[in-house]
Amino acid sequence: MEERNSTEETPRNNALAQRRSKSYRQSMRSCVEATHLAYTSGLLTALRIPRSRKAPKSCDITKQVDPDQVALLVKKEWQLSYVTPLYQFRHTQLKSYSKQLSAFIVSEKQQGLAIEVGQELGFKVNFSVVLGLAETDKDAETVFIQILSKQAFSAKDDAQKVVWSGWLTCVNGDLDYLRSLPLEFVSLPLFCTRGPESLTVLVKSWFEKTFDCCFGPLGINSTNLQWLASLWTGCHPTINIQYLKLVWTLPTLPPMDVTYTVHPQDAWELWDSMRQVDTTEDSISIDEVTGFIKGLQSHFFRHFRIDLSAGSLMQISTALGSSHHSGKIKIASPNYIPTILQLLTECALLKMPI
Amino acid sequence: MAKAANLSKSDLDSSSGSDLSVSSRTSNRSLRVVEKERRKNEAGDPFLLALKYFSEVEAGTPCIGNDVLERNLVQVERVGLSRGLPPEAISVMLDYAMSLRMGGMMCVRVLKFLIPATMVPQEAVVRAVAWLCVSKIAISTQVLFLRWVLTVFDMIDSKDNLRAIYGFIFHFVTEENLSPYICHLLYLLTRRESVRPFRVRKLLDLQTKMGRQPFLLLLLSLYKVFCPELVALALPSRMRSGFKNHNSTWKAALSAVQKRNNSQVSSDISLTLGVKHKTNSRKRKYHHLEVPSLSSSVQRNSPFSSSRKVFPLEQLHTFPQLLDNLHRIELPSQMGSLLGSSLALCYLDYVQDDSAFLRLNFWLGHALHEEFLFCSGDGSSGSSSGALHLLNRLLSTQHFLQEGFSSTEGFLYKFLNVWDGSLLRPQILGLLSGIPVVPSSCINQLLFEPLVQLFFTSTLFFKCSVIDCLNNMLLKWLTWHSVYALEDGLDISFHSHTPMNMTLSGFMDSVVELVRFVGRLSAVGLQLEGCHSLLLSFILDFYETVCDMFLKYGLPLVVMPPVGVFYPALFATDPVSLDRLGYIMYRYKKNLTSAKCQQQETKQAFHISRQTYREFNHYLSFMVSCLWNSKMFLPGMAIEVDQELLSLSKVAEPWTSFDLIHHPAFLGYALDFHHKCWPERKEMDLNSIKAGKQWDWYLEFLFSQGFQGLQQFVQSSITRRSAAGTNDQGQGDRQPTNS
Repeated sequence: MEERNSTEETPRNNALAQRRSKSYRQSMRSCVEATHLAYTSGLLTALRIPRSRKAPKSCDITKQVDPDQVALLVKKEWQLSYVTPLYQFRHTQLKSYSKQLSAFIVSEKQQGLAIEVGQELGFKVNFSVVLGLAETDKDAETVFIQILSKQAFSAKDDAQKVVWSGWLTCVNGDLDYLRSLPLEFVSLPLFCTRGPESLTVLVKSWFEKTFDCCFGPLGINSTNLQWLASLWTGCHPTINIQYLKLVWTLPTLPPMDVTYTVHPQDAWELWDSMRQVDTTEDSISIDEVTGFIKGLQSHFFRHFRIDLSAGSLMQISTALGSSHHSGKIKIASPNYIPTILQLLTECALLKMPI
Repeated sequence: MAKAANLSKSDLDSSSGSDLSVSSRTSNRSLRVVEKERRKNEAGDPFLLALKYFSEVEAGTPCIGNDVLERNLVQVERVGLSRGLPPEAISVMLDYAMSLRMGGMMCVRVLKFLIPATMVPQEAVVRAVAWLCVSKIAISTQVLFLRWVLTVFDMIDSKDNLRAIYGFIFHFVTEENLSPYICHLLYLLTRRESVRPFRVRKLLDLQTKMGRQPFLLLLLSLYKVFCPELVALALPSRMRSGFKNHNSTWKAALSAVQKRNNSQVSSDISLTLGVKHKTNSRKRKYHHLEVPSLSSSVQRNSPFSSSRKVFPLEQLHTFPQLLDNLHRIELPSQMGSLLGSSLALCYLDYVQDDSAFLRLNFWLGHALHEEFLFCSGDGSSGSSSGALHLLNRLLSTQHFLQEGFSSTEGFLYKFLNVWDGSLLRPQILGLLSGIPVVPSSCINQLLFEPLVQLFFTSTLFFKCSVIDCLNNMLLKWLTWHSVYALEDGLDISFHSHTPMNMTLSGFMDSVVELVRFVGRLSAVGLQLEGCHSLLLSFILDFYETVCDMFLKYGLPLVVMPPVGVFYPALFATDPVSLDRLGYIMYRYKKNLTSAKCQQQETKQAFHISRQTYREFNHYLSFMVSCLWNSKMFLPGMAIEVDQELLSLSKVAEPWTSFDLIHHPAFLGYALDFHHKCWPERKEMDLNSIKAGKQWDWYLEFLFSQGFQGLQQFVQSSITRRSAAGTNDQGQGDRQPTNS
């Protein structure tokens, strides 16, 4: 199903690019014959699934991004969602958003009690910009949100406890797509959250009401999990990945989970053998990735007579991070953040309805 | 009426009348004279005398034992409760009562019969509120007055001055007993400019003092509508009904008076809260299917926009309101909410705001994708009633706007690939028929390939509905075209652009592709289903659209049906199909001949090829010789059968077997006719119908059975050389249109 979706045409750019010309509209004399709702397709451009990627380069992200902010992002497991472009989101208004969101949360929690915006409440919301994560000038800067709670019986000077955090980001988003959006829209397609589900729902609902956007869950399909496995394994010479763990679920009755842990050096050697000689050093093709996974699978088959390709890859993890089919990701090392975020941004953009 | 009333009021009540504009004053001068004349005649009218008494009576006049007062009061009361009081009387009596010139008892009594006949002058209410501020009216009387104002609120002639004293009215909100009524009144008067931070704070203070009172929350929720940046509030579900009615005291009398006066003034006293709030009871997994509720946008960061008068869509309830406020309507915070309101859709159709459409499309596309493609809910999604509801609403919206959304289009192209052809079939096909013109370069990949698979693997009924859907699609494309062609004048050049960013030739290419595609589908479909007449009927529907493309829709294009459709229709066993084929051929002929005329007149190169004419002539001559001339199976005709094979079939005169008499579709009629012609004959000889006058009678008989299509075909395509005398068979005109 996912495979199928991802290989389908996504006729979206045309929708944005082919809006009806203004001149026609002005010449329109009556309002009966308007077809402005249908941006009729001209050229249907397919959003291509990348068949090759740049090999991850270790970079010291803390040179571009405030290390404190990087520390907020790494070593935590995030639940992923995608979000359609935000209408009239302004990075300059974050203070006012903080006030509005905290008032919204309190008013939703206390149904039927009006709340003055800006008043001191049980919750405090912080919006902040994480500068430096954006890779191109079309990428909007990442926005980090924290919800702090005041303990009812805590002393005045007690630090407020972070109960929820989340961030919206866009790293190396598809340029054609981003260019096709009108100026009033800000695309931050990837939304990562951590904290109680009830707060996530409230935050999403506030965003939906305020910026007329829509959220949906973002899973990581097996192709992308395979990409992640290969990318991380490729980093082994620079940073020890310590292990490569893959979890498959096989469609037996009852379903069988297979956890497959590979020694880092073995994994790397297999990966290195898959690397085609003629390809340039910093590019990885999808064939190499599938070859790598096939190699792992056939090794397993030789020993256990179980064909893993019949199942689906659910989870992979290394010391650099872990990722789950259901849309959970944990990035342990700050050095490869951009690579991972680029991949996830792609996944999120593929989910855009238009 | 209102002005005349105001005039007489100003005569009676010297204190004001200033709300009349200068212009109306002068224009009404003559009216005033007439009025005075009338007044003289009616000088003895006890009602007017009574009013005069109340307007002039001194403060402190005793009321107990005052017979004059009692007499006048009864006089006015009787009029009030039976016919209702005219505006000037309302003004006088209200002033008399609220000023407490004769004490609180009188005030209550007067308020109870203060039934307006037509309307209430605003200035009277303003003055009464002023009395409320200065005099010591008992709280219960104050409440009574406020209830009266709320009851007659819709009959107050205008509310500008009342809004001007919003601050004074707001002042009473702290009065515990008045608070519910004041909140209601404020709710009715509030505009965005009256929402101020200090008022919000005051109300919130009250909230902490009085608890979650519904009236406070309702007023606050309106404040939130106007200024979401000042106040946050989530109304609980039990509190969504709105304010209570306070009209109990006057209800019966008011409705009686209105019935009697047959008044047009709407006194829709039940003022319900128009804002619909979403129910939280719905499970969250269907969240994406929920049409969001209309609410105004928080995005008002510039100081200018907050001072601008705006009209939130939430408060839009009637079409006149829409017209009055067209220039200052504010789009809601979530465009998806427009789908729920046809008024809002009218507005959407009027504003042509790219961002607005894009927002709507994002929302809609997201809902459709989540529900049908990503299936993020659970496995059983799609069959849920929520999906059905959404699609039905979408369909009616698109029907209302007469066009499809681009997000629907994009969604359908993806969904066709995974659709099983049965899930929500009517809705999906309905949406599909609304897609805009698809460029011919990708129509095959996007539309035809997935449809072909579904078509050939599904039941007869699915095939019928697909053909029907494509027919509707073609109709919509052609209608769009004809509308734009009309708009651009008659200059249909091949390079003029339609608003679909498409040249005319590009559009024609798409239409040709579609028509040919349906031709292929039909030909194979008919074979697969054994020329089922139901399927044939849908196919003929389609060709009824196709044959008239030139004359009806101004598209210089004629496409003939393929042989796989023409011959099954010609040899169909039911007369209806044959009749419709006759009609279609008749329309083809009309279109081709007028295209030819136009071509000769304008010397313009039309793109109707000789091939099309040839095909048409071929079909026509076959049809004529088969139905009319009883010539079949001859060498050189489209259907050739070996003579020996024919003789093996042992059918006598096989060439006659598909003429109008022997055609399986008409055989029954021929027998019937034969019986009626020669009731005494024992032997059936159908060939005798062909001879002489009987043939004409037979044709008349057939036409009288309702075969209009056949009639038109015969009349247009067959010139009967036979004059009244020569009784041979008519000759088909074999070359009606030369190429």
